Formats: sequence, structure tokens, C-alpha cells
Amino acid sequence: MLKNVVQWRTAKLLLNGATRIKARRCLCAPFTTKANENAALGESELEPASKKYVNPFAQSMPTALTDNITTETAEQRDKRLKVLQLEADIAHQEGRRVPGLEFFKDHHWAHILTLPTKSARIKYYAFLWQIEMKKASEKRKKEQRAEDTERRLADLRKEREENTHIIYGLGHTSMFLRIYDTTINHWQNNRLTRAMQFAPKMVLDCSYDTYMNNRECSNAAKQLMLSFAENRANDEPFDLHFCNANLEGKCMQGLQRFIPTMLNPEFPMNVHTKCFTELFPKNQLVYLTPHCREDLIAYNPDDIYIIGAMVDTVNNEPLSLAKAKRLGLRMARLPLDRYLQWGSGSGKSLTLNQMINIMLDLKKTGDWDTALQHVPRRKVIDLGAEQYERRQTFNKRANQLNVRIDHLLKYENNRNESTSFSTPQKLRQHKEGLEFDLEKWASGKRKTTKRN
Amino acid sequence: MYNLRLLRQLRYSLVLQNSGTALAHLPPCRLLAGQHKRRPQLGAIPSDQLDRLKSEYFEQQCALSNEDWQHVRSTLTESYRHVNGTNVDAIILGLCSRAEQLPVAKSYVKHLQTQGIKPNAATLGRLLRVYNAAYHTRELSEAEQSEIVEICDTLQSAHDVLDASSCENLILGLVATTQHWNRALPLLDMMRLTSTPSVSAYSALIAKAFSADQLELGWRLLEEMIEARKLPKCEIFLSLLAQSAKDERTLGAQLERLFCFLELHDILISELVVQQLLALAQRLPQRLQVTTTRLELFGKCSTCQQNLQHVAISDAQFAELRESFLQKVLIRNDVFQKTTPQELQRFKQYVEKTAPYDCVIDGLNVAYSTGNKKPPAQLAKLLATVVRYFKERRKRVLVLGRQHMSNWSKPAMQYIQSNASVFLTNNLTHDDPFLLYATLRSGQDTDFFSRDLMRAHAHLLGTELKAIFRRWQQEHQYSLVTQTQTGQIIVKEPIRYRLSAHKVGNVWHVPYCEAYTANPPDSFEVPEKWLCITIAP
Repeated sequence: MLKNVVQWRTAKLLLNGATRIKARRCLCAPFTTKANENAALGESELEPASKKYVNPFAQSMPTALTDNITTETAEQRDKRLKVLQLEADIAHQEGRRVPGLEFFKDHHWAHILTLPTKSARIKYYAFLWQIEMKKASEKRKKEQRAEDTERRLADLRKEREENTHIIYGLGHTSMFLRIYDTTINHWQNNRLTRAMQFAPKMVLDCSYDTYMNNRECSNAAKQLMLSFAENRANDEPFDLHFCNANLEGKCMQGLQRFIPTMLNPEFPMNVHTKCFTELFPKNQLVYLTPHCREDLIAYNPDDIYIIGAMVDTVNNEPLSLAKAKRLGLRMARLPLDRYLQWGSGSGKSLTLNQMINIMLDLKKTGDWDTALQHVPRRKVIDLGAEQYERRQTFNKRANQLNVRIDHLLKYENNRNESTSFSTPQKLRQHKEGLEFDLEKWASGKRKTTKRN
Repeated sequence: MYNLRLLRQLRYSLVLQNSGTALAHLPPCRLLAGQHKRRPQLGAIPSDQLDRLKSEYFEQQCALSNEDWQHVRSTLTESYRHVNGTNVDAIILGLCSRAEQLPVAKSYVKHLQTQGIKPNAATLGRLLRVYNAAYHTRELSEAEQSEIVEICDTLQSAHDVLDASSCENLILGLVATTQHWNRALPLLDMMRLTSTPSVSAYSALIAKAFSADQLELGWRLLEEMIEARKLPKCEIFLSLLAQSAKDERTLGAQLERLFCFLELHDILISELVVQQLLALAQRLPQRLQVTTTRLELFGKCSTCQQNLQHVAISDAQFAELRESFLQKVLIRNDVFQKTTPQELQRFKQYVEKTAPYDCVIDGLNVAYSTGNKKPPAQLAKLLATVVRYFKERRKRVLVLGRQHMSNWSKPAMQYIQSNASVFLTNNLTHDDPFLLYATLRSGQDTDFFSRDLMRAHAHLLGTELKAIFRRWQQEHQYSLVTQTQTGQIIVKEPIRYRLSAHKVGNVWHVPYCEAYTANPPDSFEVPEKWLCITIAP
């Protein structure tokens, strides 16, 4: 393992050296205090050569959410805390969806004291109540499972005693080599460091902390973690950069809880506090925002695409649009309307990891239909009941005959447009559209081969 | 495996549909993945078994025996996972919450005492609620009232500061007594620590204040309630009317005060209150004449044949609206969200140059009035028709639109350009605030033409300016109803008379609605039912 770490370090040095030789702006090493000094040294070396950008989005005091905080003394706070505890207790006695007082921890009360209204508190109590109920039910099921496991182990032990032959199977004698998770992780990290040298770049703009509430910040942290993981697991990963990261903010703190080694120098994750305009030249940047008018037509590997790392369930202002306009960047949105029929489920918002997956597939295949397979089906297709039933019988028959039909179902609407990558060649495809149709023969009507 | 499971459910659902009866041994039918079913709310008691329990035990209005109560208690705790020893008492008392079920509630509390179980705070609170419900139908006896006071004493001594729901229960309980309701006032202040006091707490207290002849207190609390944006319930007005009816001399003044209150806060009274008013007028015909009426054309009352007052806002209010509009609605925190600084500057300069107008037209809203997918030639023609409508009446208009409109059909656009001022914004800009800004800047006489209800912009202005904005909007908004086959357009002119309670000459005109709703949405309809009221001096 140590030699791997040494390899990461040398790779990192090579990387820095390589970029410096390329005379591009110095890409900040993953942020630590030591690296900061190095970067500062590096920057000062390059200063006469590079232009100093002022970050218009420096993380100053957030204005959006601090308007309602009034100062109160410690004893007022204690008094309020006691009253709120009484409120929770009485609501629990009434049988409402509030957990018992023993369930609440200090950080729960700290959060409850910040909530502005009674209805907000009620919703939070309901959330904690659900957690309590889930825990209780988990405990019950665990006891049940423990009993079953005991019984099963006793049977197995008895059987093993009576058996004199060699036991074959996973965990005993088998021909399969066990590959551990850490090995896979190291291999994927290696691929990521290679990506940092050669792959196209993608920026995740983390400057929206002040516009999200607590729940949204934790959701955003989880989505960032998932996007990093899915990028790393892909065959051809991007070089991801997390820019404008406020490391004290809730989103980044959440991300650090998911990935504790995030800021280590050997970990292949680029976290910058600087803005992406300071890292990359503006003419290469394209901001992906849903509020603009131009669709992204084709993927350009020379462009650096920016995705705003924001969960916007509460706030629906066009913040990313405003930011792109202010910085004078090019803007684009995904051509969702052109390629998908949008159903009624939960609107056109996509999570960050779905976006990264879409861009990864787009980079790999250049085909929007495959890329947009990552949009959840519940949002897209509006299946009627009969169509669903038809599909189910189809699946059932296919399972009986042990036949793979996914490729047929995927493109059942537009067979002519399926690429060789995704569909196997059908027999006599060149004769498609040329079948004899008695009804239309010599009628003057044109047989349409074009599907909508 | 996944498909087998789905197939099994498919088969079961088909069988269910065919047989039409619920087969008991089937697993609960999970619906197909593509459809969405709302699962029953976790924690709520399933209603079918609850109904059975209710009909068996709680519908009777007499006391139940100890064994019956034991049985009810054990059924509830065993059958439902979320009902346990702590909350079963409050749940049972919640089930007998109607006025007639007071004996049932009392017998349960007695049962608890015989068993030696001390009722907890929630149970006592629910008991107070039952007392309050009973109080509305009959006077409570001395013993009951003293019990209420006792409960209040125990609760208040146990905790020095009570939470909002306990305070509300205590207020409702104290209001049911005759002499001790004054103790409810500091409870209202205690409620404010944790939340705004609820509508029922306020309503109960105000109604009691009115019926105990403490009118000033009642009015003060009413003002507070309106400030907290809670709508007063009918019982307040009913008790006020009942109290005013007792004294004939001050009746007129009281009614005047009530109607001024309704006018100031744009409140609609409900049918119940109207019935009471009519009954009052019948009893005292020489003091008060009340008739239900309808509005004819141009706001003429069908009873007294007078025209309602004009809806115009004062100059000061208009100035305030105009000054703060741009900052609050368009610029807000970040001007780039809706437009750019350069475009805003360009627009301001344009308006300075070409103001004042008679009407400002929202080009895209008008063009898309008859449908979204029309060809641009048709859109441009509709816009040109509207411009012609105003030209025929010799009005100066400004048309607002977006850059892509310059690609619409040439003849229509040229007609518009020659007969109106035109301003085209970027394709990404929100043009509604531009429309409203130009209209406001142009003066009190300018109207605007759009079908948009401007709800978002009204909300962004804040509560006081919102009311002013709505009145201004009502006075000045033209909208396109439709275009007939021949190409003629039907335009809806703004309603220029007031739609809230007000005085015309000496006669009050008061609109009313059918029933009380707690949070009425913004209504853009004219109230159909009005009262025409003359108060003798």
C-alpha cells in the first residue's frame, strides 16, 4: 500500500510539473495548508506571467438567510428550550407524530431552536418520529433475523461435522481469487490520476451554500459524493474540479463526512476555494443552466462544462443564469425536450450525479439517447396501464424462453435510429421499409419510412 | 425474480378486478410500479376499525362502565402499534370531542381516577376542549366550571411557561367559564413565545370579550389578530352583533365601527353573520334596514340605485408603490436574475423619452392569448389588432416584447411600429416587471394590457404594498378575453369600482361570501352577493 501512496505523490508532482510546463494557469493541488503554501509559492512565481482575477463570488457573509436571526440571551434561549421540550412532550402524549423525549439529542434541540415557525417544528418532529419508528422496526426485524441465523448456523455445523469431503465454495476451496474493495479503489484512483492529466475537465460550482437550507445542503453533499464516485467508476472519467468550495459551509462539511480523506494530497479529488474563472480561461467555459434558451447540441471536448452544485427544491430563482450572465460566460442547457417525452413526475430537475453520468455517456458515445437513459424513467415515460401490462407479458415470455429483449424494448419506438453500439444487427435490415403491403400497393400513397 | 413478483401481483390484481371481492388470504396488493398510490399516513389510526369503535362506544351519549373503558383501552393499545400507555388517554378523549359527548368524556376521566392513573397534561387539555364545545350549546354548571379552574390551576402550577397547544386548550377552557375568562389574557402572551397564537384561540377570546361587554379589549385583540394575518372567525362577529343588539342607542355606532373594520381590512363576512344581521334588522326596523342586493352594470346597486365608489388609490400610496417597485420586484438581490443592468438603463431612458402613455401592452402575453402553438404571423396579427383597438380610441400605447419578435411577419410589425412605441428586451429577460414599471412611471391614468394575474410580483412587494398594488391592478388592467371568428377582439375592461365594504353617501354596501375559509386565496372575481345597509342616525 505504501508504494501506491508514493506513486500518487510522484504522479501529483509530475502533474503539477506538467501543467507548469504547459504554461497554463497553475492548477491548485488539493487543498491543504501545506499545499496552500506551495501553491502560493507557485503562484508568486507565475504572477508576473498570469493575470490576477478577482473572484466576484468570494464567500462573504451570506445575506440571504441571516435576516431573521435576532440576538437572544442565554437564559432566554434556555427558557425557550424548556418550553419547546414541553411542547414536544405534550404532543407525544396526544399521540401526534412526535418521538418521546428520550429520543431527542442535543444537536436535535440545537436545530429545533433555529426553526422559525411552529409548522416547521412539527415537520421536523415528524421526521424524527419516522426515524424512531424505523429504528424500532429494524430492531424487531434484527432479532427475528438473529434467531433465524442461529438456527441456520446450528444446522450447518451439524452437517459439516458429518461431512468428510472437501468443501467447495466461496470462503472455502474455490478457484476464484478474492479481490478486495481497497484494491478496486486503488485501481480506480490510479485511473483518476491519469484522467487528471489527459481527460477533459468538468467543473462543479459549489458557491450556492447561502441559497440552500440545511436539508438541501446535505442532499447536495450526498449528490457530490455520488457524482465523484460514479465518475471514478466510469471507464473514461472526467477531471472533476470542485470550485468556489467554502470548506466551513454545510455542503462541504457534509461532503467531508462522506469522504473524510477528501483534502488529503494523495487523494485524486480537486477541491478549490478559488473561482473557476481564475483556473480556466473564460472562452473555454460553458455554464450548464436550465434557465437559458440554447440547447447543447454536441459535446465539445475542448470546452470545460460547469454544473452548479445546487439543490433547488426551495429556491427557484435563476441563480446559475444570473451568475453566468454576470461573468459573461457561454450558457447551454440539456436538450431534454427534444429527446424525451416528459411525464408528470416531479419536474425537469436532475440530480448532480445524473448530470455527471449524462455528460460521461455523452462524451463516450456522442449520442443523446444513450446519454439521457440516465434520466429516471418515472419522470419521462407516461406509461398507460395497458402498455405496462403488455410489457409485463412480454417480459414474462422472454424469461420463460431465456431470451434477452432489453435492446428491443429500449428502441421500440425508433428502430431505424438505433446505433450499432446498442443494438445487434437485425437480419435483412436493408429490406426494412420495402415489404409488400397489399393495401397500399398501387394506391398512390407513399409508404413512410420516417418515424416521428 | 423481480418479474415473477410483478407477475404475481398482476395476476392477483386481475383476479381481484374480475371477482370484485377482497380475498382475505391474498397478500396486500401492492400496486403496479408505474402508478402512484398515496399510502395511509403513518401514525394515523386506520379509519375502518376506528369507525367500528366509535359506533360501538362513543356514539352513545351516556357514561360507560369501568369494564367497557378497560376494553376500549386494551383494544386500542393492542391493535395499533402507535398507541401506547402514554397517548391512549388523550386519543380516547380526542374521540369524544363533540358537545353531546361531554358525559362520555367525564366518565372516562372518572374511570382513570378510580384506577389510580393520573391524567397527563394532554388529556386534561383535551378535556378542556370538550368543555368548550359543550359551552357553545348550553351554560356550564358551577361544578363543571370549578373543575375547569382546577385543571387550569394544576397545569399552570406544574410549568411556569406553557407551550402553544396547552395555552390554547387553557384559553378555550377558561372562556367556557363565566368569571374566570380574564385569566386567559396573559396566556395569549405566553403563546407568543413559541408561535403566533392560533385563530381559534383568538376567536374564542375575542368572542368572549364581546359577550362580556369589554368591547375595547375585543377590538384591540381583533386588530392584533389581523396584524398576525389571521382571518377572524364568524363567532366573533356573531357575538359582537348579539352584544350590540342589547343596547339600541349605541347599535349604530357599533355597526359603523364593524363596517369600517371590514372596509379597512378587505374582509368578507359569511352567510351566518348575514342571517344574524337580517334578523337584527327585522327586530329593529326603525334603526337598521338591511337588504341583500346585486350589482348591476358599472357598479350600480340594485336596491338603492347608487353607484359604488371608485377604486382609485391615493396619490401618496401611488407614489410609494412607484418608488419601491423597481427595487423590490426587478432588482431584488441580483439584477442579473431577471435582466441586466445595461438593459435596465436602456429601458429607463426609453421610458423617460416617450412617456406618458395611455396604455402599456404586454406583447407576448397578448400574442399568445389564443394559443401557444400558433404561427408567428397569427401572433403578430393579434398584437396588431389590439394596437388598432387602442388607436381607434385615440390612445397612445407602448408595446413591450422580446428580441425574437422582430422576426415576426413584416406588415404586422410595421403597423405596430408606426402606431405605437415599441421596446424589445433580450430573450432571456422577464418582461412583466418592465411592463408594470412603465405603467407606474407614466402616471395614475395609465392602464396596462395583460392577462397575467401578476401574483409573483404582488407577493414580492410585501404585505402592505401588496394590497395597494392589487387595488391599482384592479383599476388599470385590461385583458383580452378572446378573438371571434371575424377577427374582432373582445376586451375586458378593468372594474373601476371598489370591491370591499364601503359607504356610498349614507348607505353601507358590504359584500359577503358563503362560508368562512381560513386562508382564502387571492380572488380576482367580483363578489356576487352584497348587502345594502342603512343605519338610522
